[in-house]
Formats: sequence, structure tokens, C-alpha cells
Amino acid sequence: MLDVIRKMFGQPSKGNGSSSDAKQRLKFLLVHDEVALTPAQLDMMKNEIMDVIKRYVEFDAEGVEFRLDKGDGHIALVSNVPVRRVNNTRD
Amino acid sequence: MSECIVVTSGKGGVGKTTTSANLAVSLALAGNKVVVVDADIGLRNLDVILGLENRIVFDLVNVIEGECKLKVALIKDKRVPGLYLLPAAQTRDKNAVTPDDMRRLVADLKKEFDYVLIDCPAGIEQGFKNSIAGADRAIIVTTPEVSAIRDADRIVGLVEAHELPEPMLILNRYRPGMVSRGDMMSREDILEILAIDLLGVVPDSEEIITSSNRGQPIAFDDDSPIGAAYRRIAGRIQGEDIEIPDFTPKTGFWPTFKKWMGLSGQEAY
Repeated sequence: MLDVIRKMFGQPSKGNGSSSDAKQRLKFLLVHDEVALTPAQLDMMKNEIMDVIKRYVEFDAEGVEFRLDKGDGHIALVSNVPVRRVNNTRD
Repeated sequence: MSECIVVTSGKGGVGKTTTSANLAVSLALAGNKVVVVDADIGLRNLDVILGLENRIVFDLVNVIEGECKLKVALIKDKRVPGLYLLPAAQTRDKNAVTPDDMRRLVADLKKEFDYVLIDCPAGIEQGFKNSIAGADRAIIVTTPEVSAIRDADRIVGLVEAHELPEPMLILNRYRPGMVSRGDMMSREDILEILAIDLLGVVPDSEEIITSSNRGQPIAFDDDSPIGAAYRRIAGRIQGEDIEIPDFTPKTGFWPTFKKWMGLSGQEAY
């Protein structure tokens, strides 16, 4: 009932905030369009690079961050790999 | 000095043809001599939006193939002085015309007209390349949706690759009520992402449907806020400094009550 009265007096009802989803998805799409790399290809690249890192250090696979980011006019590949310990026993 | 402006978008169905028709009408109402060219060969629609479909005898392909003189193919709009349409061919395909043909055609039209508007087809293939060939600058039409803005971003890149100046944006079917509820990307969001200048905002309106039903572009309607939005955009095209309003919907008891009673089916501006 309160909501009905609020509507009567022109108070905007709350939406579900989907515009922030739209903005996020759009930014993601445009960066991938620009580098011509699909999310699946980016994932493949990530796995290959992680395989190399694994040979040198032990890291927390769950905490790995790996994404494309658009800054001022350029696109960066941003990655953060939380290292657990350096693998000294490599051959 | 005359100018050729292409109206493009990438994605179909965002309102290119409606925008082309209303800007042509608005520029003519402001006293310019205007021709609007339908470059969507095989799928002509601009004639219908302008309500001139019964007057077509020759078309763009006839002119390019030398079957008739350019002046003979132009259809004069009787509602306003100085407005002409060059219709597309309906029975041919886009390969009937080349970018060189369009460059020659536009050069001829620019001798006679202050503004040559090109209504570009959807897509980025031959029809787009033809449309952009003779243009001096581009207007990109988009709606506040992820798919339309993604395509608009691609077009910005293609326009710049064709060595045209940076395109300007018309944000179409904007719904300020949804923006204030957080359910539509705001114009600030969209400009931040596309990083081009805003030429104008056209709110979503049922009036666009009723005007297309009648073949009477809304820009002819002095009382319509949507018509006024198009006329303001035409003013900016001519270099006038006109502010873009924020189209905040009227709230309060009466507008809301009227909407409930079905007296106005949409947001009032």
C-alpha cells in the first residue's frame, strides 16, 4: 500500500540496477573486440602461461587474476598470481 | 558551403532511417536545401518513413547506370520548401553501386544542396562502404543497449579508418525514467565508453510509431517534444550552440495520475 501511495506521488520505484550489469558487460565486450581475442582464447592463454609459472613457483591457483583492462587509450593484460613459495628444486 | 553527412549505426533497428528523415525535415524547416539519399539498396524504407512512397518513378541505381538524369529521380517533398529524396532501388542489390559511383553522385548533389544526408544500411559491408564513400562526416545512431553500443564502437573505428573526422553520437530511444531507476545506462555511461561527442538525445516515444504509420515525420510537429529534440539536433549540425536537455521525466501527482488513467501512455518530458 505504501508503495502504491509512493507511486501516486511520483516517487520513482526502485529498479533492479541492471544498468551496471550492462555497463560492465559492454566494457568487457569492447576490450575483447579490440584485441580480437575471445574470452575462451584468453582462458587458453592463461592456462598456458600458468603452466610455465608452475615450473618455477608454487602459487594459489584459486587466487589468480588474469584479464584485459582498458586504461587511457591502451589495453593492458593484467595478471596477479599469488605466490605461495619459490620452487627451488626445479631441474 | 555544402556538406555530406552519413547517418550510420552498425546494428539494424536502432532508428537510422527515422533519424535521417527527421534531420532532413528539420534542416529543411530551418531554411536549408536538403537531399536525403536512401543508400539501403534492395530494402528501401526511407520513402515510407517520409510518406513519399507513392511518388517514386526512378531511383539511385537508375541514376548511377545513366538511365535517367539525377534531377528527374529526385522527389520533391511538398510539405516544406527545399526537401528532396533520392530513393533506393528496391529490386537490385548493394553490388549495383560502388564507392566511386557514390563519390560522383555526392559531388553532383553537393553542387545543388546545402546538406546531403545519406541513410546508411545496417552492417559494415558493401552498403556501408558505399554510404561512407562520399561523406564529409558521420553521425552514429545508437540506443542504450549493450549490443547497439558494441556495434557503434566498431563503427567509430571504421569511420576513423576512412579518414573522416571523429563521428558524433545521437542517443536514441532514451528512457530517463529507467535511467533514474538504474535500469538503463545513462548518457554519461555511454559517452565514457564510446569516447565521442554527443550530438543529441532523442527520448523513446510512441509518437515515433504513430508518425511512421502516417508517413509524417515527427519533426513537422511543432508541439511534439520529440520533434523539438530533432530540430535542436539540426540546429547543432548547423553549428548552433544549443544545450542538450536531460529529459528528466515529470513526476508528481498529476503526470503519474494521468499515466495511470491511460491519458498519456508514456513518460512526459
